[in-house]
Amino acid sequence: MVQSKGLLRFPATDLTTSELALQREVREFLDHELPRGSRRPGLGFNAPADREFSRKLGARGWLGMALPKRYGGGERTAVERFVVTEELLSRGAPVGHHWVADRQSGAVIARFGSEEQKATLLPGICSGELGFSIGMSEPDAGSDLAAVRTRATRADGGWTLNGTKVWTTGAHRNDYMVTLCRTDDGDDRHAGLTQFVVDLHADGLQVNPIPFIDGTHEFNEVVLHDVFIPDGRVLGDVGQGWSQNTAELAFERGGPDRYLSTYPVVELFLREAVPASLGAETTRFLGRATATWWVLRNLSLSIARAIDEGGSPVQEAALVKELGTRFEQDLLLGLLELIEVEPSPQSRSMFEQVLCEAILTTPSNTIRGGTTEILRSVAAKGLAR
Amino acid sequence: MSGDELLNQSADELFGQVVTPAALAEAERDGWSQPMWAAVSEMGLPGISVPEDRGGQGGSAADALGVLRVAGWHALPLPLAETGLLAGWLLSGSGLPVPATPLTTVASRGGDDLSWDGSTVTGRLRGVPWARHCTDVVALVDGVVVRLARDSLTVTAATNLAGEPRDTIECDRLTPAAWAPAGVGVDVEAQRLRGALTRVCLMAGAIERVLDVTVRYTQERQQFGRPIARFQAVQAHLVHIAQQAAIASMAADVASREWERGSASLEVWAAKTLCGEAARVATRAAHQAHGAMGMTQEYVLHHLTRRLWSWTREYDDAGWARRLGGVVIERGADELYPLITAGSAALG
Repeated sequence: MVQSKGLLRFPATDLTTSELALQREVREFLDHELPRGSRRPGLGFNAPADREFSRKLGARGWLGMALPKRYGGGERTAVERFVVTEELLSRGAPVGHHWVADRQSGAVIARFGSEEQKATLLPGICSGELGFSIGMSEPDAGSDLAAVRTRATRADGGWTLNGTKVWTTGAHRNDYMVTLCRTDDGDDRHAGLTQFVVDLHADGLQVNPIPFIDGTHEFNEVVLHDVFIPDGRVLGDVGQGWSQNTAELAFERGGPDRYLSTYPVVELFLREAVPASLGAETTRFLGRATATWWVLRNLSLSIARAIDEGGSPVQEAALVKELGTRFEQDLLLGLLELIEVEPSPQSRSMFEQVLCEAILTTPSNTIRGGTTEILRSVAAKGLAR
Repeated sequence: MSGDELLNQSADELFGQVVTPAALAEAERDGWSQPMWAAVSEMGLPGISVPEDRGGQGGSAADALGVLRVAGWHALPLPLAETGLLAGWLLSGSGLPVPATPLTTVASRGGDDLSWDGSTVTGRLRGVPWARHCTDVVALVDGVVVRLARDSLTVTAATNLAGEPRDTIECDRLTPAAWAPAGVGVDVEAQRLRGALTRVCLMAGAIERVLDVTVRYTQERQQFGRPIARFQAVQAHLVHIAQQAAIASMAADVASREWERGSASLEVWAAKTLCGEAARVATRAAHQAHGAMGMTQEYVLHHLTRRLWSWTREYDDAGWARRLGGVVIERGADELYPLITAGSAALG
């Protein structure tokens, strides 16, 4: 049987009594803070940034949940984080401020950072205070990250950074950017890369907006011109940026954010629809969508449980992300076939407004954090014998 | 993987020995393999989940469903689902003894017209798996469970896409070999759900095997000087099959688990819907990755893909999606996410 032959594994699991209690707690909190149907929902991690809301989550202990307690974390499990995350995303909560810090920067700093970095940065991540950006992509380095050209050169007591990062979400409002730079030009292009924690308010650093497809300002170009970074802000080891970066990507994939981004659109459709007017085709569409959310949730939950049990389900996560991010977009195409109106961003219907936003913005979900094509290569490695 | 691990392993070993390519071809030609049935029956597999005091082997439905996963992997051409989990359940659930012979049954669909007049059965039932080779056909007719001796029925031979018997039976004022009012929990809805769950498990096993053979083949087959699995376009096929195998397996696991816990209607609706889609995607990708070899009868793939097409339609697929969508609409927007997380438990 396949399960004993070393292909990808997804053992079924479900929530324990204490995990269900946490789910209830989060639902009650959200019923109070963001009652369903009361406001325009955000779409996954593209949802608006709201530092105040993030602080409230921090106060509840729902940020940096897996981080060590001595730095403000909760030392809780990946499954508990999954429970909180799926509730936030299904509610369309404004998670934009803390998202990157909570999902990956905190984990990478906890794993590779110095004692000083952990002591100064992690408490702010756990409280919802600090926002992080990801400084990976460059004009000539996207899927091929080893091609980064932003250079860090030795300076007195630290490093001088020069180069340009692009598609940097939230750099105009965040505090730090974990930045991948070239520190050495060897023959091995994967060596000689180093990560830095860059203060987004440092001298010589300029943030220029790159208007997003729907006209909003989320993307930025970050130009680094002789930006001085002290030695204490080297993240992990010099020259180890590539392997650290690979670990960081594993944190990025396989979670509920990879299939729930457009959930609020379908929920709004259902909220505004007149039940009696929904025909067989719509009913079947809703049934299929619900079945797919159900199974993707079980797969994603299985990944979280595997992480808690010491596993490293990198290929499984890539498989789920590739599947989930395509499904999120298929849902919109399905809805477009069912509705009779021409959706307008100025419509009085909140469903139509959010549908318009989703149509324009969700193609980015099969690009960021590893394109569909790259993910297939990662997952295919798990299928080799 | 659900069910009893040791039992699954034993079944896997047995099926590995008896379901050889030659035996599969022979079973398709003759519609039946007596040596195969004898071996499977010897191990007691058909009677799992049927209580011992009714003539079965005992064990849980989850145990029997786990064995069906293994049977699907091997494309076992026998009425394993029918004998125990379906016919055995109808009989034992209504207080009737279960013969230790191959049994078959199917839920009535549109166009079938079996009826019960208080003492005899009249009418027609189509798509009855292996009817011509089973000793009895068990049916749920107008609230009564009847066991009809095959020799007293008119059986018209037909097959599914995999060449497995799916016969039509007819009778006219036939007195059943045994009958009883349907027991508690034995009704058409439960019968259709149970039937759908057997197909989910068979399909999950078969899709896992489709992945296995496609991975093997694409690593062995060389073109342009390297294994075709090294080409990104072929890797995309492998990933799509692996995704559907993961979906079907997870759906089968969770539906079987919730079935054992007592309430799994939503999970079965979802699982059967998903397995239908999984079969469509995986079948297409596997055939494309195999090229001409997958189109032949000498290679194993067709035993799996032809069964998948048949199981997709058996016990419905599109209808379950509509049922699930109907519940979603009835419950409304606020209840949608809780429904996804809690499943049947949310239906109360």
